[in-house]
This record gives sequence, C-alpha cells and structure tokens, in this order.
Amino acid sequence: MLDLPLLFILVSSTLLVLAVLTSLIAFRIGAPLLLLFLGIGLLVGEDGVGLTFDNAPVAYFLGSVALAVILFDSGFNTRFETASRAAWPSLTLATVGVLLTTALVGVVVHYLAGLSWRASLLLGAIVSSTDAAAVFFLLRVGGISIRERVRATLEVESGSNDPMAVFLTATFVDMIIAGPEVGAPVLAFLQAFALQIGLGAAAGVAGGWLIATTINRLRLEPGLYPVIVLGLALLMFALISLMGGSGFLTVYIAGMMTGNLGRQGMPLLRKFQDGLTWLAQIGMFLILGLLATPSEFGKIWVQGIVVALFLMFIARPLAVWLCLLPYRFTREETAFISWVGLRGAVSIMLAILPMMAAIPAGQAFFNVAFIVVLTSMVLQGWTIRPVARKLGLVVPPEIGPVEKVELELPGQATHELVAYHIVKDSPVVTGERIPRWARPSLVVRDGHSMKPHEAGAPRVDDFVYIFTPPRYIRLLDRLFASAVALDDSDQIYFGDFALDGEARIADVAHEYGIALRGDPGDTTLAEFLTEKLGGEPHRGDRMTFGLVELIVRDIGDEDDIKTVGLSLTPAHTERRRLPMFHNLDEIVSGTRERFARRRMWRIAAKEQKPTMPDQTDGPADSSPTQTTAASPVSAPPVSAPPAPGISAAKPPAKPKAAARKAAPSGSAKRKPPSSAGKSAKPPGVKGK
Amino acid sequence: MDLSDLIRQDAIIPSLKANSKKQVIQEMAERAGTLLGMPSRDIFDHLLQRERLGSTGIGQGVAIPHAKLAKIDSLFGMFARLDKPIDFDAIDDEPVDIVFLLLAPESAGADHLKALARIARLMREPGMAQKLRASRDAAAIYAVLSLASEPNAA
Repeated sequence: MLDLPLLFILVSSTLLVLAVLTSLIAFRIGAPLLLLFLGIGLLVGEDGVGLTFDNAPVAYFLGSVALAVILFDSGFNTRFETASRAAWPSLTLATVGVLLTTALVGVVVHYLAGLSWRASLLLGAIVSSTDAAAVFFLLRVGGISIRERVRATLEVESGSNDPMAVFLTATFVDMIIAGPEVGAPVLAFLQAFALQIGLGAAAGVAGGWLIATTINRLRLEPGLYPVIVLGLALLMFALISLMGGSGFLTVYIAGMMTGNLGRQGMPLLRKFQDGLTWLAQIGMFLILGLLATPSEFGKIWVQGIVVALFLMFIARPLAVWLCLLPYRFTREETAFISWVGLRGAVSIMLAILPMMAAIPAGQAFFNVAFIVVLTSMVLQGWTIRPVARKLGLVVPPEIGPVEKVELELPGQATHELVAYHIVKDSPVVTGERIPRWARPSLVVRDGHSMKPHEAGAPRVDDFVYIFTPPRYIRLLDRLFASAVALDDSDQIYFGDFALDGEARIADVAHEYGIALRGDPGDTTLAEFLTEKLGGEPHRGDRMTFGLVELIVRDIGDEDDIKTVGLSLTPAHTERRRLPMFHNLDEIVSGTRERFARRRMWRIAAKEQKPTMPDQTDGPADSSPTQTTAASPVSAPPVSAPPAPGISAAKPPAKPKAAARKAAPSGSAKRKPPSSAGKSAKPPGVKGK
Repeated sequence: MDLSDLIRQDAIIPSLKANSKKQVIQEMAERAGTLLGMPSRDIFDHLLQRERLGSTGIGQGVAIPHAKLAKIDSLFGMFARLDKPIDFDAIDDEPVDIVFLLLAPESAGADHLKALARIARLMREPGMAQKLRASRDAAAIYAVLSLASEPNAA
C-alpha cells in the first residue's frame, strides 16, 4: 500500500522533468510551450501511454489552485502604471467583451448545433475568456517587445476576464440544473454578479494591502516571506470564494497590490513566484491533457473546430473591435489584440464544471472546449510573433542584453546593490563617461577585488558593484548594455531623420510640408505629437502627417518625447493599413468626409443647373438623384485629396464607388521599393 | 537607383577638409553658391536652421543636410567626402565623412521629400558607403552615384 504514493510521485515527477526538458526543444522550434505541456499530458494519457486519469473534481481543484497562483503572479508583475494606463480598455474587454463573445458563440452554437439557448450560452461562456497564463507567457517569454499600450491592455485583460467567465459559466450551469421551468432570474443574476465582482475586488485591495504590510513590517527568516505570501494569497482565494465573491479576482488584485507596495524581500519573492508559476502552468496543462481523451471525440472534432474558427475569426474580432471603438487604438493594434485572444487552461477548466454538475451533454462540452483551446493554441499561439511583425507592432529593442544581478540589502535601504558584468560594446567600454552616481563601489577583475580608483577604466569581463537608488537602475542598464544590433527594418521603423523634440512644430511643418490647423505658435514637436497621440506617447508610436510620418524615437525620464523620427516614406505603413477595425475617431471623420463630399456634389450639381433650360432652382434642392447625374467629371473640388490635413484620418470607411477614383486610397497601394529590396535579408534579430 | 538627375559631376567634392560640422556646411554652401550663382550666406543660414531641428546625420557616417530656398528653381544636389570624419551629432553618434546636400525650391513639396527619401535609401544600401569611400575622384564618385542600384548591389 505504501507503494501507491511513491508511484504517484514517480509518475508526476517524471512528467514534470519531461515537460521542463522538452521546453528546450520548444524554444528552438518556436512552438508555444503550453501546447507542448498539453501535448505531453495527452501523450501520457489514455490515448498514448495509457495512464488513466478521469477524476474531474480533482482536476478542477488542482486547476483552480494553479490558476489562483498564476493570477496572483500576473498581478504581482503588473505595475500600477501599466494597469492604470490600460485600465479602461482592458476592463471593457474583460466585461463587455466577455459578454459579447459569450453571446456571439452562443448564437452560433444554438443555430448550428441546435442546442438549447442555455446550453449554447454555457458553451459560449466556457470559451469566452482569454487565458492569462497563455497570453502572459507568450508576451513575456516570447521575447518580443510589443508596443506598451497594446501589451498592457492584453495583460490586464487576460488577468481580469477570467473572473467574469467563471461567473458566467457557473451561472449558466446553475440555470441548467434548475431546469427550464425556472425562468431566468435577472435580478438574482445581477445581485450575484455584483457580489462576485464587488466582493472580489474589495477583498483584493484589502488583502493585497494586508500582504504588503505584513511583509514590510514582519521580521522573518528571509526564506519565509514567499511562504507567508503564498499562504495569505490562497487563504484569501478560498475565503472569498466561500463567501460568494470571485476569489480569482481577489488574488489578481492582491497580487498587484503586493507587487507594487511590497518592499521587503522582493527579489526573492519574485524568483519564488516565477518558479511557482512555472510549476502551476506545467501542472495545470499536464493534468488537463491527461484528463482529455481525444479518441473519444469522434464527430465532435468538426463542430469543435467550427466553433474555434468562428471564435477566432469572427466573435473575438467583433467583440474586441466594438469594445475598443472609443479608445483610439490603431487598426493594427485592434487586429493584434483580437488575434492574441488565446484560449487556454481556463476554458478547459471551466468545461469541467458542467461535467461535475452532471449536465447531460457535459462530456461533449468538455471535448468541444478542448478542441477550441487546441486549435487556438496551434493557430494563434504559433503565429503571434509573425503577426506582430506583420502589423508593425514590434518595437525594436532599446538596449541590448544586460548581464546584471540585483542584490537585496538588509533593512529598508533606499539603495540597491547591483552587479553588472561588463560586456563587449557596452557604452562604458566604448568610452562613455561614467556619471558620478554610476561610479562602482567595487570592481572585480580576474578574481581580484579592487577599489574603483585602483581599477581605472572598466574593462570587458569586469564585474562592477554599484550602490544606487532603484530609480537609476534603468539608466545604468543603458550604460552597461551591449550594443543593439538594429537591422535595416528597424532603421526604417524609426524613419530617416531624427528630430529634436524641442524643435518648434511650425519649423518642422514648414520644412516638410505638414499642413497645420491654425497657428501653432511656439508649440514644440514633442508637445504637438504628445497631444496627437492622446497624451500618452510611447516609443515606437507613429502617425502620418501629410507626406511624412512622425515616430516617437526616445522617451525621456518624465515620459516626455526626446527625439522624433521622421519617415519620408510613410508608404511603409500605408501598406499595412487594414481595411477594417476602424476606431471611433476614424469612423466619425470618415463619415464626415463622406457627407462633405456628398454636399460638394450637390453644390456642384446645383451650379450646373442654371445652364440647363427650364429648371428652377427651387426643386433642385430636394432631388438627391441629381447628384449621380452630375458625374465625377463635374466635381473637381471633390478630388482635392484630404491627405495634407493634420488629422490621422484615412480614406473613409466605405467610399462611394464613384468617389473612390478621387480618393487617395489608390495611390496608397503602391509598394515602397525600399522594403521590397531589403526583404531579401532575413528579418530576424541579429546577435543573440 | 540613379541620382544623376539630382547631381552634376562638378557638384562633387572628393576630398573636403573641415574640422567641424559647421565648417562642412559652410564650405559646401559656398561651393553651392558659386555653382548656383547666388549668395552662399543664404544657403548656409537655411541649412543651419534645419540642423537646429535635429541633426541630419542619418548614421553610419552619412549625413544629408537639406533645406528649402526661395531663390532656386530646381532641386540641387551636392556631394562631399570628408578628409577625416567629423562629429555631426548623428543619430548613432558616429562621426560623419559622407555628406550629400540637397537644396530644393520652396514650391518643391512632394518632389523635395521624394528626392530626400531616395538619397537616404541609397546611402543606406549595403556597401554603398564603402564604394563611395573607395572612389578616388569626382568622376568615380559620380559613376557610383549614377549607377548605384544595379541589381548586383543587393
């Protein structure tokens, strides 16, 4: 009898080791790691090696704990600034977006599969949330740097939409169990919702504060900090869930509070969380892989894939587009956000709920959800990087890799000790003057430690120890980073020339033919561009003005624009312009342009009238059909291209067939010869 | 790509001696003034004004100073290779030794920008700067600039 636990340990640890080792291969071939873990689970499971595991409640229990850990860590690593920057768009996505997706999928399932409304919506809810684990993982580990605002939105969305999906799924399960004779109790539904979210959020804030205070105040053995944090987080998760709140929301918010307010033991905590999250991810996906039995899927494969494709190509994009309408995202950004709607463990986990509740079609739900997740991971997970590149959302790296270790100092020191390994081509080696605050306290060279004045100028392979306030670390990184190898496409990305943010916009406009509305006075380029970008400029943000494009090249320490790139071939971006995902601004200005155009035509038509015999001016007003008779030839004012205007408006959404000739959209199709020639080179990042 | 429509062979200085960015611009403005038959002071001022918005050093030792002038009636290009590289506040902080100067009429608009884009693209072409550095005299440089984008350049 003693052998059973040992056997269990043997099997699970083997799986764990296997998963970690195969991750090496996954990095090589660029496969989504989580898919790999799921794959191992499947391989070892009933259909493969033959390990039988079909205990749904255990899987659900373990999955919940793992998800709680993952969500806590997601919050832990989300800076307040990031969260507040993306708060509104991501919260809209997490609430309205989830509801919309649920409804859309529900409708399709209802009509295609002929399930009852409740059952269809249940399936919709199961696959409605993006997976925090998968999204975080791909964005962080994927090693691509996406534009700040997009990344923040995706991260916060995926962290905060799980509670909504959990709530919806649970509600629909309850409704199905209650039976069709019980009407949908809207009031009770809303009450439960308010309790879930309200309690969850409030407890998250309070609990997070509690955790932060505990670790800041309590003097503990250093190794115990992570343990008490984990303990408190899970305690809160369980407690709030029992009280009817959303425990997942609680741990997410608590994690964010802890990560931002905590001071004591943070580096250790971060490492611990890192490892734990890996463990949770691997465990969760392995178990869910074990639980599924694809050979029993049978005909459901087809249906599952149809649902998955509908979700990926219609439901999610539509929901994302509607949710993001008011937030001035560019079309490319909206497209990317809808593509990164990865489904993951959460959906599979939620699909266990109907099984546990013994709903008739429970097993089928689980299978469909599993297929959806599999499809999404393969299709979306594998293509995130190329898609981001294609959409021009990958920001070339600012600095090269840095080799450093941050050491924690005892007591609540306001300084940190950072050790840098001096690498070739870093600015300090190539002769950059080292500012006073960056003078090392200690230099280790060839195994000998020496005082900085003994060591003299830093050499390659030195280790330098610098005692510095945390806020300087970012600047230090720049000094000690290896050189960035910007390839041709990166140079094109930032434009041909660099302009000083302090330059007057009036001068720039004169030089490059940018039409300004009104007199800009002494407005600087930085101020002008910041305003046009909605107040929050980020490195890599770009906007077209007339014939040139301005790109944010460098951001200063106070989030002000330092240098602006000027691209003379904005065709580079026009090539990418998508025909959909317009934001509200674009729609408004597009519609306005259309109306203006129509009015012009009417005027043009009216002006022609007097030359026609026996026609009075009176009725001409009320005969819109005349406008078509006026034909584009008679409307020269229409063809004046609106391009040189300041607005970032693109050609209107749906230009009238006749007007299309006049609109500049035709010329936008031109392929820039530059990128055509350059693309012979592989676009990959140079160096390591 | 062929820049021969932008530049004449007598507007190429194969070896310019200068110690500072300002001096380079001054020397080239003077030469341009002679060739165009107009006061070089005016050209110099406009070029300097443009530099105040941000250096025209586009990196890898290349700079493309440019300006719009009221008094000329067509695009005018000039090329200079410097004797020794000088600091130009370029994007990559590398000293500059290849300078392509472009003057455009006030009314040039899109043509001005297109010409600039062409020059910038050409200068970034792999091997281009090396070829220009390796050419000994004005005729050789002119040949490189006007035959630039033969298919084998890529």
